[in-house]
Amino acid sequence: MTGGASTHVSKQAPVPTVPWGGIVAFLAIAGIVGAGVIAGLLAGASTQGILTNLGFYASIAIIFAVLALGFNLQWGYTGLFNAGIAGFYLIGAYVAAIAITAPSPPIVVGGIPVYPGHLGGYSLPLAAGIILAMFASGATAAIIALPALRLRADYLAIATLAFASILQIFANNLQSVTGGAIGITGIPKPIAFTTADAPFLNALTIVGIGSAILLLFILLLQFMAESPWGRVLRAIREDEEATMALGKNTFNYKLQAFALGGALMGLAGALFAVTLGYISPSSSFAPSVTFSVWVMVIVGGSGNNRGAIFGAFLIYGFEWLSVQLKDYIPSALAEGLPGIRSLLIATGVAAAVLLVFVLFVGRFIWPSARSRILTTVRERAWARSAIVAAFVLYGLGWVFVFLQQYAPRAIGDTIFYLRLMFIGVLLIILIIYRPEGVLREHKRVLR
Amino acid sequence: MASGPILQVNGIEKAFGGIRAVDRCSLAVLPGSITGLIGPNGAGKSTLFNIIAGLYRPDGGEIWFGDARIDGLPPYEIVRLGLTKTWQIPHELRNLTVLENLVLAAKDNAGEHLLNLFVKPGEVKRDEIRCRARAREVLKLTQLEGLANEHARSLSGGQKKLLELSRALMSDPTLVLLDEPVAGVNPALTGSLMDLIERLRQNGRTFFLIEHDMNVVMNRCDWVIVMHQGRRIAEGPPETVKADPAVIESYLGG
Repeated sequence: MTGGASTHVSKQAPVPTVPWGGIVAFLAIAGIVGAGVIAGLLAGASTQGILTNLGFYASIAIIFAVLALGFNLQWGYTGLFNAGIAGFYLIGAYVAAIAITAPSPPIVVGGIPVYPGHLGGYSLPLAAGIILAMFASGATAAIIALPALRLRADYLAIATLAFASILQIFANNLQSVTGGAIGITGIPKPIAFTTADAPFLNALTIVGIGSAILLLFILLLQFMAESPWGRVLRAIREDEEATMALGKNTFNYKLQAFALGGALMGLAGALFAVTLGYISPSSSFAPSVTFSVWVMVIVGGSGNNRGAIFGAFLIYGFEWLSVQLKDYIPSALAEGLPGIRSLLIATGVAAAVLLVFVLFVGRFIWPSARSRILTTVRERAWARSAIVAAFVLYGLGWVFVFLQQYAPRAIGDTIFYLRLMFIGVLLIILIIYRPEGVLREHKRVLR
Repeated sequence: MASGPILQVNGIEKAFGGIRAVDRCSLAVLPGSITGLIGPNGAGKSTLFNIIAGLYRPDGGEIWFGDARIDGLPPYEIVRLGLTKTWQIPHELRNLTVLENLVLAAKDNAGEHLLNLFVKPGEVKRDEIRCRARAREVLKLTQLEGLANEHARSLSGGQKKLLELSRALMSDPTLVLLDEPVAGVNPALTGSLMDLIERLRQNGRTFFLIEHDMNVVMNRCDWVIVMHQGRRIAEGPPETVKADPAVIESYLGG
């Protein structure tokens, strides 16, 4: 065979790359924990109190990490877009709660039904509850996928979204099974502590159990997803038709990935029920849970398990931190208000001077600097983004100053919700500059 | 079966809405041949290939691959019988490496079944080693071995064509459908690609290819079938087809 020129490969020395993704990930989580600790110290909490609080962060983040791992198996590896994560999560939580709770009959006070009771209360051990939850969610995922996976990808998203909404309505109204709007309470802790430091010991056991389960499933998923089986999943994500033409029954693989992902979401639900000790159909299983998990996997990095776990700890970290900080930021703002105001005025004056320089006088007094600024703005996306971001921050700064002056209570209420805007901005920046996520999918080099 | 056709298409029909892409088309491919399929754009050639490979379901007609009737079978079962197809526009799995692309195309890899990972780890390991070794062999054949661990997306257009052919060879097929294998490939590489196909044919494989490069069709094929408006309008050795007035009118041009 002649003419190998077009297949010629230049042997380049491997360029040592800095693992920026890993460094950023480590710093981000360290920053969240650090800020949480500082907020606790400012509030004068005890060491044990701060640790309990951190334990709460860790235990919920672990639950989101399990959800993200499930979604990553479905979407990151196989390309199946699940828009009903909250639904599979709900099934897991209710099945586990019904399995491990003691019987709780309806409560009627003075002829008025106060609590409708719920199904069973079978007092099973925690492990049984977890296994049942995984099985129920996994089987439901398979049943939904059976018709929906044969259709185009959009229909799977629509079917799962509708399914999750229906389940939330069921949980609210199927009172004799789910306890209605009140839900299921009295879900037993893994170990019943009675001492004064019970909250701390509870947090400790939950984090311990959660970490052990998370670790187990990381190892299991890593083994499965990086096997020849997982390779077929990634092939389906890239091009299902081509994978079929390579001799794979792609439907079976999609079904397996979707059911296993659903089972992981059920596991997360079971962990959630045990961690909180009560479940109700309200916000815990709202569509926003689904959206959070999407963001976690997109920001963390899809197609690799590290990314999904990091994304969960990061995005839930923001949520947790916003709760920690919302009590301190208003007072900090109030104290720093004069400083902030002078800073904003100074920045405004500086920006105006720069603008006058670039637009009017720069041409005469320092043309080289002016043209360098203009070129940078014209050619560099980061420069334009920075200008837009500066304007937004500047505007927000003034909004805060005025709110602080005329409606000080509004700020405390807003901080908590501002986190969504913060996450949204983060998502936009990430999709522009690093669409593959902070921890990107690695290349599988085969020997 | 040595004397009978390896592929027989009998009255295959396929319509997309009001357009009859393939209209009661019948043709046969002899084993051990390099058979060309030519015809103007929109003649239904690629559609016919997709029907043979099982990607489209025909509205009517029969397809026989050796002794097996394959119309209506899903694509993965047709591949298992020994019939593979390459794509006109390369369908490389972009974010997988070249080697992964090939290993995926191997048949009977135990590790691709979830349960085997847990119950037959030895077999999984053995199969994976076998498939990787075979992939390396094929890559050596198609001169892509230097790119084995590069992402498929980073390949050039011509290299992607080679990747298509390499993947098709991985499953050790008896009949390979090539949809424009040399379109967009430089002349030198076209020559070596066709040399390779000629050598593989001598090893007992059959090739059925769509091509617009008349050099390739006239010099490399031993039989040429001409399609026009979804039907076979002529067939024969290249010289005969070249002289056929119907072919000149519809395709080659005066």
